[in-house]
Amino acid sequence: MKRFLSSMLLITACAAFQASPAYANGEIGEHVNDLEAHIDDYTGEVRWFLDEADTIVDRYESKPESADPAKLIENWEAVDFHAAIETSFVPVYASIWQGIFGVHDGIKQGKPVAEVREQQQALEEAMWQALGAVKLAAKYQAEQPVASDTSLAADPVATLSEVREQLDRVVAKYAERDLEAATSIVHDTYATRFEGVEGALIEQDAALVEDLEKDFNVTLPLRIEGGKVPVAEVKSVVEAMQVKLERAQALLREAEQNRRSVF
Amino acid sequence: MRRRNFLQILAAAGALGALPPAALRALADEGAGVSVEQLPPLEGDLTLYLGRGEGGLYENVLEAIRQRNPKLNLRVRTGPTAALANTIVAEARAGISRADLFWAVDSGALGLVAEEGGGHVLPEDITGQFDPLFSYPKWAPVSGRIRTLPFNTERLTADRVPDDIMALADSDLSVGWAPAYAAFQSFITAMRLLEGEQATGDWLRAVSRRARNYAGELGVVMGVERGEVDLGFANHYYTLRLKSGKPDAKVDLAFTEKDAGCLLNASGVMALSPSDTAINFIRYLLTREVQSYLATEAYEIPMARGMGMPPGLPPRDSIHPPDINLTRLADLRPTLDLMRDVGVL
Repeated sequence: MKRFLSSMLLITACAAFQASPAYANGEIGEHVNDLEAHIDDYTGEVRWFLDEADTIVDRYESKPESADPAKLIENWEAVDFHAAIETSFVPVYASIWQGIFGVHDGIKQGKPVAEVREQQQALEEAMWQALGAVKLAAKYQAEQPVASDTSLAADPVATLSEVREQLDRVVAKYAERDLEAATSIVHDTYATRFEGVEGALIEQDAALVEDLEKDFNVTLPLRIEGGKVPVAEVKSVVEAMQVKLERAQALLREAEQNRRSVF
Repeated sequence: MRRRNFLQILAAAGALGALPPAALRALADEGAGVSVEQLPPLEGDLTLYLGRGEGGLYENVLEAIRQRNPKLNLRVRTGPTAALANTIVAEARAGISRADLFWAVDSGALGLVAEEGGGHVLPEDITGQFDPLFSYPKWAPVSGRIRTLPFNTERLTADRVPDDIMALADSDLSVGWAPAYAAFQSFITAMRLLEGEQATGDWLRAVSRRARNYAGELGVVMGVERGEVDLGFANHYYTLRLKSGKPDAKVDLAFTEKDAGCLLNASGVMALSPSDTAINFIRYLLTREVQSYLATEAYEIPMARGMGMPPGLPPRDSIHPPDINLTRLADLRPTLDLMRDVGVL
């Protein structure tokens, strides 16, 4: 897992600092350009956030009507750590939202305390994992110079890495319950990234392209539509797509190695 | 213009001195194309704005040119073609000139820059390498893509596909299309320019009754192959690529004649600075090595005369694209308005 996190972070950290993508939750803040200098602040925020979450669940346990689960969302949107993880490692970011809504909905729906505690536990795990991810991203950020304007455009394999990263954002936005953003990322990712490389991919494996076309245009948008299915279900569609995209990358890498030279 | 006539004109104009003798011999050798071996090495600084296209293959070409010319300091800025064209225009208006070259996947973008006064007139040894239909003073087409009618071979035979795009409106064939797709919109723009707004609107209305929408043109070709529709509208390379990955694919290509249905559009390059290095860089893109690389690896149609077509396409002289100024395809707004009015967008 650690190795997986490292390699994913290398990809996402590089991507995050070569561009300034727009995020749905407002200003990102300059702090994300120097993660290392802010690690102590982030650590403090994580502790504070989890303490507050614990207080909310404690209240729910002792006097259910006094618990205000909306505070969880407010607190999460107030911390700088939110932007730090969103720009560093989106899969964990999605898990945080999943945990927040797990606790929030559990309280709103009057579920047994044990079930809410389970969600709280998942939220805590996601938060600590996220802090680890930001620390790792900070390390890569310090080592990786910002790409210059003169670099060549991404090749198809790199484009598919961007596609995979965007799909993680889809899960994150779905977990945030921002269905419009989730749907729009799916469509944009298909039209501006995947569509540009599928011609090369279809030469290698036509069935794989057919499968991914269906995922992009039918399976995933249908899961997102209406926001009715659990985050885990959207995540599982995305994970299945990620596996196919990984295979696509391997095929394109191999094809590139076998390609004739220009001169 | 035949090559010999072209050489006579060049000689009269004194333009032949710009090229080494070996390159001149290649030009004289009908059909051979200029080899990179005959071109001078590139040296110095060069900034190229590159509109993204063909999944990294243009970058492969640039990398090969870099490796072949170690004294060339080639800086590349990539981005969507339209955005780069706007940047070039904005920079020019501000009195700044950052790019020496603009290689665009869409000829309309080159037209936009040229209309704003950008780009330098190219030497005749470059502009003379193209069919007169595709010869422009300020930019050189590099590689092309042609509109085709991919059809399902189990549902149709080629003789049932009309060779007149306008006649398709009166047929009973079901159609797959991707109206939101830029290449489709260029095709409709060409129809509008060739046939007029009224005829194009009528055609869109008639065809839309039997049309099925797809998100992209590869999707169109795949839909045709699955038999969801009889035929589709798509650039040629999607079918060639599908057939490369799935040789028994139930799809083949049909072409219309001298109308928007077989529009041949091209990527192209223009010199934004008059330096010898920039002009010679364009010559590199037109060498037989680069042209044949783009044909075999990207299935693109070489635009320099005398080069073979990509595998899977009929010979160039059996395809008859319409006579249309490609830079006018940038006039997209009326097309989008028309498509919206008709309800296909």
